[in-house]
Amino acid sequence: METLFKIFPQSNFTLLAVILGLPLLGAFVNGVFGKRLGKDAVRLMALSALGIAFAASVVSFAMLHAHAHHLHDPTTHKLTENPRLVWEAWKWVSISLAGGTGSTTLNVAFAIDPLSAVMMLVVTGVGFLIHLYSTSYMAEDPGFYRFFCYLNLFIFSMLVLILGDSLPLLFVGWEGVGLCSYLLIGFWFEEDKNASAGKKAFIANRVGDFGLLVGMSMLLYYTGALDFAGIQAGSAGLLTKVQIWPLGSGVPSWLSFLQPRQPVEVYAATLCGLALFLGCAGKSAQIPLYIWLPDAMAGPTPVSALIHAATMVTAGVYLVCRMGVVFVMSPAAMAVIATIGALTALFAATIGLVQHDIKKVLAYSTVSQLGYMFLGVGVGAFTDGFFHVFTHAFFKACLFLGAGSVIHAMHARIHDGDASQDMRNMGGLRKYMPRTHATYLISCLAIAGVPGFSGFFSKDEILAKAFESSIIAPNVRGEPMWMPPPYLGKVLFFMGIVAATMTAFYMFRTYFLTFWGEFKGWKIVPGMATAGAHGGHGHDDDHAHGDDDHGHGHDDHAEDDHGHGHHAHEHFEPGEGKDKIEGPEPHESPWQITVPLMILAFMAIAAGLLNAKIVGETFHMHSLTWLDHWLEPVFARASQSVKVPEFNATHAWMLAMPGIAAAVIGIGFAYYAYVMHGGAPVRDIAAKVPGFHRLLLDKWRVDEAYEQTVIGAVDELANTAVVADKWIVDGILAKLSAALVAGLGHVLRLFQTGRVQVYGLAMMVGLIAIGWFIWTPHPDAVVSGDASTGTYKVTAGSGVGYRFRWDADGDGKPDGKDWTDTDSVEVKLEPGKTQIVTLYVVNSFRRVAKRSFPVTRPKKDGEAFNLDELNKQLEQLQQLMKDEK
Amino acid sequence: MNPAFSLFDMWPALAAGAVGALIPSKKDWKLRAGLGLVGALLVLFTIRTWTGPVLAEGETPREWPNLLNALIFLPLLGALGVVFLPRQAPRAIQRFTLAVLGVGFVLSLALLSVPMSKGWHFQYVHEWIPQLGIRYHVAVDGISVWLVLLTTFTTPLAVLASFGSIKTRMKDLCFSYLLLQGAMIASFVALDLFLFYLAFELMLVPMYIMIGIWGGADKIKASVKFFLYTMFGSVLMLSAILYMVWTYTKITGAPSFDLLALSRVMLPHAPQGFMKFGPQELCFWAFAIAFFIKVPMFPVHTWLPDAHVQAPTGGSVILAAIMLKVGTYGYLRFAMGLFPYAAGTASANLAGVAVLGGILYGALCAWKQDDVKKLVAYSSVAHLGYVMLGLFGSTPSGIQGAILQMVNHGLSTGALFLLVGVVYDRRHTRMVDEFGGLAKVMPVYATLWLIVTFASIGVPGTNGFVGEFMIIMGTYVSPRLGKFAGIDATLAAAGVILGAVYMLSVTQKMFFGPLSNPKNKRLSDVNGREAFALAPLVVMIFIIGFFPSMFTDRMKDAVSAFDLRFRDTFELAKSHGQKPPELIDIDDASFLKGAPPLGKAAVEAERKEREDAEKAKKAEGAKK
Repeated sequence: METLFKIFPQSNFTLLAVILGLPLLGAFVNGVFGKRLGKDAVRLMALSALGIAFAASVVSFAMLHAHAHHLHDPTTHKLTENPRLVWEAWKWVSISLAGGTGSTTLNVAFAIDPLSAVMMLVVTGVGFLIHLYSTSYMAEDPGFYRFFCYLNLFIFSMLVLILGDSLPLLFVGWEGVGLCSYLLIGFWFEEDKNASAGKKAFIANRVGDFGLLVGMSMLLYYTGALDFAGIQAGSAGLLTKVQIWPLGSGVPSWLSFLQPRQPVEVYAATLCGLALFLGCAGKSAQIPLYIWLPDAMAGPTPVSALIHAATMVTAGVYLVCRMGVVFVMSPAAMAVIATIGALTALFAATIGLVQHDIKKVLAYSTVSQLGYMFLGVGVGAFTDGFFHVFTHAFFKACLFLGAGSVIHAMHARIHDGDASQDMRNMGGLRKYMPRTHATYLISCLAIAGVPGFSGFFSKDEILAKAFESSIIAPNVRGEPMWMPPPYLGKVLFFMGIVAATMTAFYMFRTYFLTFWGEFKGWKIVPGMATAGAHGGHGHDDDHAHGDDDHGHGHDDHAEDDHGHGHHAHEHFEPGEGKDKIEGPEPHESPWQITVPLMILAFMAIAAGLLNAKIVGETFHMHSLTWLDHWLEPVFARASQSVKVPEFNATHAWMLAMPGIAAAVIGIGFAYYAYVMHGGAPVRDIAAKVPGFHRLLLDKWRVDEAYEQTVIGAVDELANTAVVADKWIVDGILAKLSAALVAGLGHVLRLFQTGRVQVYGLAMMVGLIAIGWFIWTPHPDAVVSGDASTGTYKVTAGSGVGYRFRWDADGDGKPDGKDWTDTDSVEVKLEPGKTQIVTLYVVNSFRRVAKRSFPVTRPKKDGEAFNLDELNKQLEQLQQLMKDEK
Repeated sequence: MNPAFSLFDMWPALAAGAVGALIPSKKDWKLRAGLGLVGALLVLFTIRTWTGPVLAEGETPREWPNLLNALIFLPLLGALGVVFLPRQAPRAIQRFTLAVLGVGFVLSLALLSVPMSKGWHFQYVHEWIPQLGIRYHVAVDGISVWLVLLTTFTTPLAVLASFGSIKTRMKDLCFSYLLLQGAMIASFVALDLFLFYLAFELMLVPMYIMIGIWGGADKIKASVKFFLYTMFGSVLMLSAILYMVWTYTKITGAPSFDLLALSRVMLPHAPQGFMKFGPQELCFWAFAIAFFIKVPMFPVHTWLPDAHVQAPTGGSVILAAIMLKVGTYGYLRFAMGLFPYAAGTASANLAGVAVLGGILYGALCAWKQDDVKKLVAYSSVAHLGYVMLGLFGSTPSGIQGAILQMVNHGLSTGALFLLVGVVYDRRHTRMVDEFGGLAKVMPVYATLWLIVTFASIGVPGTNGFVGEFMIIMGTYVSPRLGKFAGIDATLAAAGVILGAVYMLSVTQKMFFGPLSNPKNKRLSDVNGREAFALAPLVVMIFIIGFFPSMFTDRMKDAVSAFDLRFRDTFELAKSHGQKPPELIDIDDASFLKGAPPLGKAAVEAERKEREDAEKAKKAEGAKK
């Protein structure tokens, strides 16, 4: 250990580079060179990358354990700090802080602490088993190298997600796993359905990623950091009130009805928690974003086991655990998480009850189990929520791989993807596949929560905490924070129990339908060689998927030359194969498949012992509460805000009873319905409520509802945008302006006819107009002056040969007899008087014209208004005008 | 140093070269050598850039003053050279063009040989028209250096790729490319507004020719639309430039077109209020509209899809990767640099336009296009919406993100256009419905497309993410955007969803599903030329994604100096109010380095001094 710490010091823990680098190298080599290297080399590369990474993970874990031992304080029996082994690789970017002055540097830094160490072991360990499994399962696929490239890339991304020491780096892994998930769901891309499922998964995840991005920007703004330590240190900044409505200040008056009396304010912690949880809901398939996960089963089964059950989908729970400090600052956000978790658990379970596709049932059960995990972390039981992640990774991976093993066997004669997964074609496989059967049964018992199995311990603890514990709101100035009602925990507990009953029922429904009763896939002809079905390659291990040309391409029958006429086709009616097809006995899978199954099944039992709290506390066996102690430093700060009552054995066992009862009832009813009565009671119930049954079969038609609402709205918006772009934006800016210019050009062109006569005519008209203007005299004058002196000057406008005569005294006769060049006269007026000045003009053509200009000096302020005077002047003016006429 | 050791130091580059050489599966030795070279050079570039230039204590970095002149005039002289090459030897013309561009790229790497401290580097000033105060003034700083490098890096690849599809009028084509290259580089390094305007206009001509001659069915209309839109904006800008110069002349007595000199002019601004314009606002909008058209921003973006659809592949790549950046760069350097107050007060509203009209509207329009090229063009509108948002938010990391995103968009959209060109050359159609299931017949092509797609939608690990992330974070914390900072950032983050929607939809329609169209059954995968043109872009996508600080660290000083000046001048303008124009002091000597002296007497004194010095030099030379 000493030597190890010398090679890999605690603050520069380069062993993480090995753990991260190998899967990336594997992905690169397999992706770029895999096609040429051949399957054996690809297998070797992929397995060794994962195997060494797992070994390195175990070493790292041991070193972390030793490091934690160093930090152990013997007096308090607690760790002085959270043990961490850190590797800072290089500087990534620096980001400005609020106000735009300071900045925080983000490094490409990785760290393991107790939480990420456990997760890392699960990812590399289960990942290795599933890689091993896939080497057999995918052996026949032409995209073998591609598959392992993606799978290795996935492991790399998942490790970045777990080990990243800052939120943005976690986000790198977060989107990276989404990308791999996209590639692997659409692995058999030649079927449009698979490609669509991949796209749906990526986009639903992106909706979540949007939340995570917004959450990150809020954290940056309010806490001033994005690395986990910094966020924890600055988390007090999240207790700021944020005005969310109205958005701005200057609301126009016609919108004032939107303006509330009091601005709506919430705490930044709540907003931030909800935004981050949106990200979790996307990745971990919670309401409202769970819809992608069931479709994701279009990918190869090992992918479903690794990505869509054991590791990737639990990333959301991991994030809530990691950011626990932020979440507990808002009881509202915690209540939302717990409620969404419980609702998802219940909702998905109802759909799982009626599905026929074995992978679909498992998918919904995954959604439901993820709901439990969120219920756990949502009530502040971080350790227990995470413990369920841990146990679920084993039993769900085992269930999926078991289902894969069964599907693998079914593929011997049924080549249609959907039909080979339909449980109505299975049955009685217990006899033919004993190892698969045993492991599947163990995992079913674990997920149903039968005492003694791992699922019992984790699920029971979550439900108990939901019932008992509560969040302590942080102290804030002013109005206290919103708290969920105290009965919420009880309601959630009840929902959890109902969902647990359903879980037990539908899981044992799959178990009984698959392994008990009679085989319904085809008519078994003992001793018939599988070779008959597959032409050349007859060995049991070899027929993973159809033919060689195209991985899963059962659609193309012209190329699918099997040489016999009765293989399954697309419109395969469930159960009809019995009459139509003959085939050999279904076979057990090879060791690459069964060994991982057995290891996982073992873990499905043994993992429970890591945190069998109810037993450990009752009998004071500390080794049975190991995980609790191990994770204590991680959640130390977040747990301060969670109130958990003291352990009381009677109380704890009382609370466990409903859960145990749920398991018993569920399993018992499944046995009663499917083994004792061959499914008749269930069919009776379905017949009584056909509409409801249909609704469940159609998964509550949530996809259709989204199609009609959100997706439809965005679709219409996009159509509108395209039309607007073409006809409004381009129409006004380009087409209309061009039309205006062109129109102007057309008008101007009318004048440019090119005919001399037209130009001559225009010239004529112009000359006549000018001539007329010169012919007539224009008696125009401007009156200027100043009221204070009373001297006004009337100035006549000039013209060609103009001479003037003036009548300045207002007697109606010109003042002089001769026409003069005097173009202006002056008049002097008393205040309030008006004088009429008349101008006579003669031009060179001896034509005379005259015009009168009244000149008025306004009255001084305060002087009375003389009406008589004004009337007189008016009469005078009228008289003059008459004269003029 | 011992050469053996230096060889040893280069082992990652050699290893990368070996890996690159191993990648092609066919016996194509040319491609093997090419990819090996690309791998080795890019890794070497990364290592060198990562460590940065190492200077001894007290040593000042040596800058070759003629470097920028060489970068500008090499392609221009090359264009002249093409004129004298025989039309009958297209291969010779092609090789000559590639050689000129290649030499330009190698030369441009020398820009990274000095630490990018704040202020101007590789500055070169020469009198041009002294009566009008016009000088040939070029320099780079941490902002423009990346755009110059983007230009010298992308153009050779685009040109190389276009030689695969264009066979006619090679001489004209190469002439256009080289002329364009010179003009683009000049526009990124010009610090004299007259020179900038000249380069800005000169760029139009070759692109107009390219669309008009080698374009698609509707090429004439598209090229005219492109020309008129840009011209409209640049004439507005010219009037604003003249107003600025006139004002400057009135204050100091001597005219100058120099950006540094004009930055000191504080124009009066309008009193607070909606749609109120003072001289500063009017000049700002004249500049801004010119650049918004070039970017393009909503609602003046509609020339872009038309131009892209009609342009030949090489033209599209250059247009998207580089020419649009002149708009964003110009907005940052000139509109924000000259009119901080007007830019700062308008930015909250403009950010709304960038988010709604750019990021969201562009993405929605892109989603519904049935022509792949048009789709990519609209995605450019969305991506440049991010860039503009980063500039409007004007926080240091937002601006850095915006500059990085300019480079990113150049790489990933350039690569997308190259990829669209690949199928267009084979099928002569770009309609999405014509394709389907291509991944089966063209696996390498599909892989490259997927990588570039994920870079384009900003998946972490690729370059697109870093830029978007910095911009979104920068927007949220921006004080400039006020109350709407959070909303802008949230909506910009929502654009990330739409990006995935449109890119993955087209990817599914083209590459996945059954291979239904019989015309696609015999399509050949990417050939050596295409692979070689795409490889550097793809590798760069990852280099920026993994090591962004290599780039941001070099822009950091320039950006923070810019930000500081921007904020200081903004505050000054507030107190200046509606007073008549006056000169302000800029408290940044490194920025003013190379600015013309103030006043007529000083200008003449300086000229005299210089002439005397030259005379003395000549005399000395004669003596010797």
